[in-house]
Amino acid sequence: MKRQVPLALCFLFGVAMIYTQFSPHQYSEAVYNEVIKWGLIISPFALVLAVVTLIQTHTSRIRFRSEHWQYSFIVFIGMIVMVAVGLFFVPNWLLNLLPENVSTALADVQIGPQNPVFVWLYDNVQVPMDATMFSLLAFFIASAAFRAFRARAFEATLLLITAMFVMLGNIPVGDLVWNKVISWLPLPESWVLLEDGTSRMEDGASWLRQEILDVPNTAARRGIILGVSLGVISQSIRIILGIERSYLGGGD
Amino acid sequence: MIYNKTNFCVLACLVLFLCGTYAFSQEPVAPSNVVAKDTPNDDGTSITVTWDTIPEESGIVSYTILRNTDAGEFKEIADKINPKEILDKKKPNLSKYKDTKIVKGKSHAYIVHAVYIDDAPMDSEEILTLIGFLRRLLRMFGYKSEMHIPSEQTAAVKATGQWFHTGKTPLFLAMLLFSSAIVWNIYHARSGREVFIRRIPGLEAVEEAIGRATEMGRSILYVLGLGGVDNVATIASMTILGQVARRTADYETSLRVPCNDPIVLNVVREMVKTSYLDVGRPDAYNEDDIFFLTTDQFAYAAGVDGMMIREKPAAVFLQGQFYAESLLMAETGNSIGAIQIAGTDSEHQLPFFIAACDYTLIGEELYAASAYLSKEPMLLGSLKGQDWGKLLIFAAIILGVSLEFFGINWITTLLRSVS
Repeated sequence: MKRQVPLALCFLFGVAMIYTQFSPHQYSEAVYNEVIKWGLIISPFALVLAVVTLIQTHTSRIRFRSEHWQYSFIVFIGMIVMVAVGLFFVPNWLLNLLPENVSTALADVQIGPQNPVFVWLYDNVQVPMDATMFSLLAFFIASAAFRAFRARAFEATLLLITAMFVMLGNIPVGDLVWNKVISWLPLPESWVLLEDGTSRMEDGASWLRQEILDVPNTAARRGIILGVSLGVISQSIRIILGIERSYLGGGD
Repeated sequence: MIYNKTNFCVLACLVLFLCGTYAFSQEPVAPSNVVAKDTPNDDGTSITVTWDTIPEESGIVSYTILRNTDAGEFKEIADKINPKEILDKKKPNLSKYKDTKIVKGKSHAYIVHAVYIDDAPMDSEEILTLIGFLRRLLRMFGYKSEMHIPSEQTAAVKATGQWFHTGKTPLFLAMLLFSSAIVWNIYHARSGREVFIRRIPGLEAVEEAIGRATEMGRSILYVLGLGGVDNVATIASMTILGQVARRTADYETSLRVPCNDPIVLNVVREMVKTSYLDVGRPDAYNEDDIFFLTTDQFAYAAGVDGMMIREKPAAVFLQGQFYAESLLMAETGNSIGAIQIAGTDSEHQLPFFIAACDYTLIGEELYAASAYLSKEPMLLGSLKGQDWGKLLIFAAIILGVSLEFFGINWITTLLRSVS
């Protein structure tokens, strides 16, 4: 019974949600929107559990003096300060219900997300830290590219050459370099000249970069997307039919 | 004197009226074949009015639409509609207006007005005629006369919602066909017939990674990405985690799972606990090893990176949906020398994983993982059905491209109509 009911519900809602994708009827749309809302209702309850686990994790780190346990204090300080500033947020509907002098006084204090301290902390702590992490990506890309482009095998060499052309097309001086280099090559004029009289090799680096991105790159991406889409359908059918049930917490 | 002024005014008005009447050099026409019908494949909230397009040369400048409700008085619902903007994309000789502000349950009839204005160019001969001169004079004063030519009233229509979108029939049939192939293969797999499945190095390495961590006495870090529990990639990742947990329970290796989503956290705890129970090692399960970090993308990446640097896990699994944080985590994992097995369906993150990880499950391989690891016949059967679908699409691509070379484009047209 513990398994049958969730599986039956999964089947019922799975089929219903598939049907809503093929039915434009207002009742079908209403069912879809309602189910999405139910999903949103579950989130706050799960968040409470998540915050409890976060507190437990850091409390035990402090208690057992794990490595770098001091940083757990920063987690608690950050959490308490932001919650304290954010918790006293009074929504507009409540302000309207309160006596005028009280609501005016509260509005003047600017509590909640409008609080200058809250905004300052967000803008000067959270945003720069996020930006710092994101900026690190540039260095990581460089180090990953360095490893990936080492010409150890035929495929890696091919990747290196292709990447060189793409990078050349991405930089402003790329076309200049390309035009100089290509002018030394004895290319047949019939191939170089386009129907409108312009040269195929003019801004050739940009052209080649775009060709690489538009043709082989797009073809490979579409292949992956097709496989992923079929995989998603297959996985969904397995879940709806109750064959794939490990997400319920076990094999049977 | 006053008498003379009045006479002058009357005369001027008469002249203006005559000019307004004769100003149109071309014959204005009324919209013809005006038909109102319930918009197909909608939720019953609109009515579409169509009529024959009036050629631009006739001097038409706009349309005005009038509507009545339950045979009541006609009221204007839209004016100054640009004729070019309402041309039917498939049939340019048809103009189409969609009324989305109908009253539900009431019937509506429509009248379409074609609006003309006197701004046609004049040649030198025309200017020399009296009418031409007067028209020119009127334009100089900024006077532009407008003429509304109404169509006939349409039949009253009531909008109703449709239970099935007929435009999606090919898509529905394709889904049925594909689903049937999967179900048929699952059914046949139950007989126990062996199903061939190609070797997936990334999944073969799971055992190796867990074994290595056990030998080194270090933990295994499993990252589920940023997807919620409603994300199919996250569900696929959770099923792989279930299989990994069975092995770590067997080997008594520590399995650490930092979560980004609160619901995922609770589901994962239950899953891992059951896996430990299934292999008879409930005592080895430590709930604190599966914990919540944060919902913020980069804070989560920073938290995971910190864990990698501090705990130095021997194996790192990055399975699920990832965004820009993918390389931050994969490169950090690489720097600590951990064996890394990644898998995602986000095609933009795959190159990063391929560059930084030892093994990568590309797209669909992520979904095949649970079948591959568990070797359950029914799950393997579904993989075979999936391959049939791929074969069908592959055949359609080859056939479509070949036919295009010969100028036959019905496959392209069909696929375009579905999209």
